[in-house]
Amino acid sequence: MRIATLLLLLAALLPGQAAQADGYPEVRPGTPVQLPADAGSHPAFRTEWWYVTGWLSMPDGAPLGFQVTFFRSRPTLATGNPSRFATGQVLIAHAAISDPARARLWHDQRIARAGFGIAEAAVGRTDVAIRDWSLSTEGARLHATVPADGFGLDLAFEPTSVVLNGRDGYSQKGPATGSASYYYSLPGLAVRGTVRRAGVPVAVTGRAWLDHEWSSAPLDAESVGWDWVGLNLDDGGALMAFRIRDPRGAVRWAGGTRRWPDGRVEALAPAAVSFTPGRRWRSPRTAIEYPVEWRLGAGGLALELVPLMDDQESDSRLSTGAVYWEGAVTAKAGARILGRGYLELTGYGDPLRLR
Amino acid sequence: MVSATLRVAFAVFAAQVRDRPLRLLVSIGAIAVGVALAAAVHLVNESALAEFSRATRELSGSADLVVRGTRAGFDEALYPQLAKLDGVAVASPVLAREAPLVGGGSLPLEGVDPLAAAAIRPALYGELAGLYVALQEPDALVLSARAARELGVRQGGTVAVQGPAGARTLRVVAVLPEGATGRRIGYMDVGSLQWFAAGLGQLSRIDLRLRSGVDPARYATTLRLPSGVDALTPDVEETRASNLTRAYRVNLDMLALVALLTGAFLVYATQALAVMRRRRQLALLRALGVRATEVRVAVIVEGALTGALGGLAGTALGWMIAVLTLRLLGGDLGSGLLQASTVAVTARPVVLVAFVLLGVFVAVAGAWMPARHAATIAPARALKAGDDEAIPGPVARLPLAGVLLAAGAGAAFLPPMHGLPLGGYASIALLLAGGVLLVPAFVGVALAHAGAPRAPIAGLVLARLRGAIAQSAVSLAAIVVSFSLMVAMATMVHSFRDSFERWLGEVLPADVYLRLAPGADTWDLGPAEGAALAALPGVARVELRRTLPVSLAREQPPVTLIARPLGGEAGGLPVIARAASLDASLPRAYVSEALRDLYGVVPGGSVTVPVGGKPVRFAVAGLWRDYARSTGSIVVDLLDFERLSGTRRYTEGSVWLAPGADGEAVRAAVAARLGGGEALQVTTTGTLRARALEAFDRAFAITYAIEAVAVGIGLLGVVLAFAVQALARRAEFGMLRHLGLRRREVLGMLAGEGAFMAAVGVVYGLLLGLGLSVVLVHVVNRQSFHWTLDYVVPIGSLGIVATALVAAAAVTAGLTGRIATSDAVVRAVREDW
Amino acid sequence: MAAALLAVEGLVRRYRADRPAVIDGLGFTLEPGEWVAVMGESGVGKSTLLNLIAGLDSPDAGSIRLDGRELAGLDDDALTLLRRESMGFVFQAFHVLPYLSVGRNVALPLELNGVPAASIATRVATVLADVGLGDALDRLPRELSGGEMQRVAIARALVHRPRLVLADEPTGNLDPRSATQVLELLARTVRAYGGGGLLITHSRAAAATADRAVEFDGRAFRPLSPG
Repeated sequence: MRIATLLLLLAALLPGQAAQADGYPEVRPGTPVQLPADAGSHPAFRTEWWYVTGWLSMPDGAPLGFQVTFFRSRPTLATGNPSRFATGQVLIAHAAISDPARARLWHDQRIARAGFGIAEAAVGRTDVAIRDWSLSTEGARLHATVPADGFGLDLAFEPTSVVLNGRDGYSQKGPATGSASYYYSLPGLAVRGTVRRAGVPVAVTGRAWLDHEWSSAPLDAESVGWDWVGLNLDDGGALMAFRIRDPRGAVRWAGGTRRWPDGRVEALAPAAVSFTPGRRWRSPRTAIEYPVEWRLGAGGLALELVPLMDDQESDSRLSTGAVYWEGAVTAKAGARILGRGYLELTGYGDPLRLR
Repeated sequence: MVSATLRVAFAVFAAQVRDRPLRLLVSIGAIAVGVALAAAVHLVNESALAEFSRATRELSGSADLVVRGTRAGFDEALYPQLAKLDGVAVASPVLAREAPLVGGGSLPLEGVDPLAAAAIRPALYGELAGLYVALQEPDALVLSARAARELGVRQGGTVAVQGPAGARTLRVVAVLPEGATGRRIGYMDVGSLQWFAAGLGQLSRIDLRLRSGVDPARYATTLRLPSGVDALTPDVEETRASNLTRAYRVNLDMLALVALLTGAFLVYATQALAVMRRRRQLALLRALGVRATEVRVAVIVEGALTGALGGLAGTALGWMIAVLTLRLLGGDLGSGLLQASTVAVTARPVVLVAFVLLGVFVAVAGAWMPARHAATIAPARALKAGDDEAIPGPVARLPLAGVLLAAGAGAAFLPPMHGLPLGGYASIALLLAGGVLLVPAFVGVALAHAGAPRAPIAGLVLARLRGAIAQSAVSLAAIVVSFSLMVAMATMVHSFRDSFERWLGEVLPADVYLRLAPGADTWDLGPAEGAALAALPGVARVELRRTLPVSLAREQPPVTLIARPLGGEAGGLPVIARAASLDASLPRAYVSEALRDLYGVVPGGSVTVPVGGKPVRFAVAGLWRDYARSTGSIVVDLLDFERLSGTRRYTEGSVWLAPGADGEAVRAAVAARLGGGEALQVTTTGTLRARALEAFDRAFAITYAIEAVAVGIGLLGVVLAFAVQALARRAEFGMLRHLGLRRREVLGMLAGEGAFMAAVGVVYGLLLGLGLSVVLVHVVNRQSFHWTLDYVVPIGSLGIVATALVAAAAVTAGLTGRIATSDAVVRAVREDW
Repeated sequence: MAAALLAVEGLVRRYRADRPAVIDGLGFTLEPGEWVAVMGESGVGKSTLLNLIAGLDSPDAGSIRLDGRELAGLDDDALTLLRRESMGFVFQAFHVLPYLSVGRNVALPLELNGVPAASIATRVATVLADVGLGDALDRLPRELSGGEMQRVAIARALVHRPRLVLADEPTGNLDPRSATQVLELLARTVRAYGGGGLLITHSRAAAATADRAVEFDGRAFRPLSPG
């Protein structure tokens, strides 16, 4: 595999360090996210993703972490080419299962040019597919079908709540107002379905989280990576927090959203979020060192984040070109478990950013 | 006893090397030349084919199935249909076009979806996937390293290409690394190429990777594909390629083997000479207690060693020739059958070993009879003086010869096997073998009719020849074999060329021809252009045609469909058979002979051809001769085609001049009026004819070269045979000198013998060769290329070669006589130890 | 002197400058009709002497006159014609052409001398009868014994009645009985056909069939010492 060239591809496909949006629509405050219309694709924007992460439990009670992600990228502007191939859109998908009992991370990915019904992201509703992988809307529910290499996911998600992050979905990602995305989350998704590992199906239930975010230039040139966490709290609430790091590792921006069990939603200012790295783990494959345990202060909560397993590194150089850590974590306060969710750590290897 | 025998062999061999190294070198050289020829031809063919396979594999990558129509392509709607099938993991759409370059030549362009392609063939297309974003620009082009080198451009440079809408400048956004592909090719995004090359909605190929566990061959049969589109496994692709060239390659292989066979006779002559020279040494060995079988084994081992050295040298030489040939002529030996790019000589070690062994085998075969003779030397007699017994020749075996000739005649009637004229080749081999066995009988008849000349020298010549018919026949075998095959090949090639030339006259009735450059799918001729041409001054009439490749059967190469105005009759086609009655409800078609041979299509029957994506049945009105396309062609009326396909686009045209108009001026006017630059070739009939014949001669140049070498080896065989005899007869010449023959009379006697025997051999070779040529023309040619030829004997050139051969034989025989008349010879009368 | 058949004077033949001459100052005369046996050790130059007399080798010095005609000044063609007309040869190894019948073998010298065909037939028949092979005219050499073959060679050497007959160990390949018969026949026939010549031999018995015998040592002919 020509890894280097694929990295080049992704450097271009995904929002680059130069956060310019020449010719692309800009994300502006004051344009609230409208659901359900905004659940679909926004093809004019440069980048968009639907990101489902969550915890599953098998009939024997053993836990599994999973993630299913669909990216949409519009790397080039219209050229006037009437060819049906010249859609200007590329779709990428990732799927992974964190399997602590087997100490194994199953993962696979897809990439395809949009068009011909082979890879499509529908406008107006969540319905995105690459060949036989899909995340679609079925009535009130979402459905992910991912027959992957060595494993498979077939999961139905029942939404329980909607959170518009930032200001009505305008989520600022840097000091400039242009560094932003439209961003809403569906925390507390009730999951039911089947997971296949090595051809063996097992019925699962669990709780998950969907992020849907679109932008043309979320990150500015000073940003090299971020830490993000989304937690479904056992009390029925939810917490999302992120921070953006600059090349020296200092915090360039931060933010988050706290949803209380009663449905109240609070946007967290940069100062209200603090990430403190704890134990580190070095990937044996890429030699990248990730802080896999954290102390998180956000929205009045002081939490310790403990990973389901250390090795939840996603090597997606074949599709998005990024190497990052994306894993199931437990949120604790002392010995008490407050909730479960997913932690994402990017930019610890090459200075390459995903979100 | 084996070791003793081998010691004898080595002692004998070493003694010979020390004694006469040059003579050994001749033996080794003869084997080496034969092996070199066979090896070179084989290596070139194998390497070219390997390269072609590699290119094919590279094209299709690790695709399990390749779905392809003809070059004209098919509707892209097939792409999503296939991509969404359950058994398909990835479908990679490809549009292939040959883009004429501004300033000459053309560049193959492939439009791909790099992301899908990389999923099938990451080694090549992974590079392109990395360039995905850059390739989205409509004018972005990625060149292979070879294309960049040959076009002299680098990353950031530009390539000017002739598009349908005029010249376009493409930007070279990247050059692939050398290892990615050996092809000279440019890559664009499939969407960009569709737009640029007026191929919107069109694809040429879809590579499929199937889900694991799906059997490609079986899955291919379940696909529902439009008419003219096939799903092939890459193996089948290779089969197509090798089918296309197999007949030509087998022809050359056979020729090379003939050279080797002739070399075997040469070894025979030199081994016989060696035995002759050492008969007393061998007799002494026998007298000293070496057994007859051991002497025999010793001589054979000596031959085997000669063969091994010759085989080694020949294989090395063949390798060098192959390298040079590939560099100079290309992988198809000038036949134009393979469009393989740079071909490097590749060979499995086992093949090289086989060629060395072939040399050994041939040398052992050549040493067999002299070895037998060496073993039968009566020691006492040979050690005694005056034993003038000469080398024995094969005796005429008339019944066996008759059986061989009859079998040879019978084999000519066998149908082709695996698409090859194996029966024809067997026939030639059997006729040759039978013919060689009859040589002594023929020589006897010739001598019996030579009469009794008055001149004492001539009398001596004839008496000598009559007294040693068997020996003379041996010296003739090599020349008979090589000359008869030369006659046969020359007759076939001449018949072909003669027929081809006349055919050119029939199929090129107009004065100026225009056609799109080969593969120039980026340019089109329409009715408007036709009208514009007809209005040009000096133009009397314009006819436009459409040719396109269509696929009739899965494993056969595509057939050319020619849509042209047929008018009431066959419209000037060289038709050789007509249907007695026709189904008037069907459109008419004339099929080439290949259709009859390959698909069983006959006049009066029907043929189903994909037109405009639908299968259409045509009534076959006649059979026409088409030397341009050995894979077959179908001519239909242009009006039918336009009606059936709904298109009015053309690829070729003919222009007739008004009385008094100048061909070249009209040609220039046509070219200027149409524009199109390099995409359009406009030529006068004269130029076209000259080019066609030149291409023909180039294709057969290698054939002539191999023939010449074979005849040269044959002649060398005659010379050596005479040298053998001259040495064996030294005492005789010495005695004749004592009797009062002048030196020049002895020389004249030898030259006379040489000339007479060569004349007999040439006449016999001519007769045998004409027999063989009938098999070549009517069986081998027909089964290889699927067209018939008019049988024409090149009397003039054969006469010249025959005369030259006789003269050469006389001169060389006379030269060997110099040995015979040297002063040493005088003393040979007292060689009495 | 003018009457001598063969007159050799001061004959020198040297193959290599750094070696002693093979023949060094030989001189002798042979009268017409004289049949002389020459004996000598191996390697004394007997064969060289015959080649020089036959004109197939040229001397470094000295003269050879046949019937008074000096050979030294003649070119190869003239020498060839001289051999053809005036000389006959008998070799140890017979050298009968295997592909010609006995009759044709014997007829060769006559044919080469342009004798009319009719005359050739009678002369061949006569000479074959004279050597005792009157019935062998159409036989091939391979059907003959060694002694018979040598008789054919004698017939061929004499059929054109040469002035000079040169016989080089004619019985070397024959058994003693055949040898005696052949030698007697040779001596008789040479005399009968009016020729003279030299008989090179190793054998005293053979030498005894000649008119006289000499011993040759490379320098001179000396009368054969008794014993």
